[in-house]
Amino acid sequence: MNREQRAALLAVAEPDELIELADACLATGSAPTVLVAPEVGCVSVQVREPVVRDRFLLGDVLACRAEVELDGSRGWSMRLGDDRAAALAAAILDAAVEAGRAGDEVDELCARVRERQRAAEHAEWAELAPTIVEFEEL
Amino acid sequence: MGYSGVRGGMEAILAAERLVRRSRDHAPAEWASTEQIVLRFRLAVDRIMGEAGLYHSPTAADAFRQAEGDVLEAAHLVRAHRSTLPRLAVTEPVDPDEMVVLRRIVPANRTPDGPQLLGRTTDYTGRLLEREGDFARDRAEPRTEDDDSARNRQPERTPEQRHPRRFYQLLRDLDLVVEHGEPAEDPEPFDITRRAARPPAPRSAVLSSMARAETGALVGLWYRSILGPDGDVHEITLGDTRHGRVPLRVVHPHTGKPVQIGEIRVTEAEGIEDLDGAEEDRTRFDVGYGLCFGHNERKAIAMANLDIAWRRAEEDSPLEQLLLLTTDGLDSGGFLEHLKLPHYVTFRSMVDRKLARREARGSTGPRVPEPFGEECR
Repeated sequence: MNREQRAALLAVAEPDELIELADACLATGSAPTVLVAPEVGCVSVQVREPVVRDRFLLGDVLACRAEVELDGSRGWSMRLGDDRAAALAAAILDAAVEAGRAGDEVDELCARVRERQRAAEHAEWAELAPTIVEFEEL
Repeated sequence: MGYSGVRGGMEAILAAERLVRRSRDHAPAEWASTEQIVLRFRLAVDRIMGEAGLYHSPTAADAFRQAEGDVLEAAHLVRAHRSTLPRLAVTEPVDPDEMVVLRRIVPANRTPDGPQLLGRTTDYTGRLLEREGDFARDRAEPRTEDDDSARNRQPERTPEQRHPRRFYQLLRDLDLVVEHGEPAEDPEPFDITRRAARPPAPRSAVLSSMARAETGALVGLWYRSILGPDGDVHEITLGDTRHGRVPLRVVHPHTGKPVQIGEIRVTEAEGIEDLDGAEEDRTRFDVGYGLCFGHNERKAIAMANLDIAWRRAEEDSPLEQLLLLTTDGLDSGGFLEHLKLPHYVTFRSMVDRKLARREARGSTGPRVPEPFGEECR
């Protein structure tokens, strides 16, 4: 799993599981330096529409980002919504993996998140699939 | 009657606000939580997000509650809140073809590539008002069969079912649509949150304005063109009409590569227009495009129709001005609401002019205009 894939999964992990793992990670080593305190703001959504291929701005989404340094390695996170603690925890976990700490635990967390996504999509599809129209030739 | 500067009303204003807060926040009924509003008033929440131009359902739900269900006021609250927030990033261009569809219909064609997926809709069934008394609150969620076993029997979703190929592509394959090709230039999109768009404007400004427009205003403008005097819009045939999730990616600041930060739900529509102009290729169609936050098919369809109408409009058409300057709910609603503020002085001056004119009508002497800037008495 590369860094971008890990960041994407941490971005949709539950706040509680991120905070719990980040706390455990910090309990056994040095403290992080916060480079960018968790900040809530907007991310502008840019779209390339498929007809003329023009780009336009659809609007903004609420997001939160944070950046830390841990054992000389920098960690970064950005997630949708306004949960500052979750953004900070994800940045700490990113830095921890970069610093060679807690890699296995973070991988396990990411695997759990991916499995939850798969299960949610499967459940969603089970509800949607019956709404496919089956036409009958007359 | 003369003019005189006055002040006052503060006590009345504060008392009026207290009345709102007391009646709203302490009504003798159960509190409507943010979660309840998000889950039970989904379409209102989505509409607020779109018209405010900020995607975050809990924020929209809180605004809905504070505005006592007034969607326009709620959008106003959210947009004001948004103006206090820093811009953290701009996403990489979203590719709508990556949408995971939750609903996808193609009214123009029975057998498009991929399914006609109705999704969550009551479009095809009669609706009658359900009164609270008819609804057993403790009724268990209806189940047609055991959910788990049904889920387990459901085959995995195929790529075609997840991301059906858009109908526009099929028309292109058949050489039935005007070929736009890759744009010669790729200008940065116009940002209507930083600068007011005024005619003549690039298409990116028009699309952004429509995406953030008040839904009723956009639908009204579209319908005016169908039944009204303008004749800007022909009735389109809908191609792909979708509601689904698209991924958002930003550039990772450490690696420089795109990283996904989450997904949002959007509604998309293709409006197929029959070209019939003297200078147009009458052997082909052209397609208008609509896209907006959340689930709001009315808005996306009106937007697609108005997009192609704007691209085909004559140079002297008022359509661009109408789209850019009259469809924003905060603009129009704000201007209308301001009429409720005291206009004592301006109206008094109008009364004075009426009286002066009446007086002048009775006099036989030459009319002497008042010197500009004469002090009010």
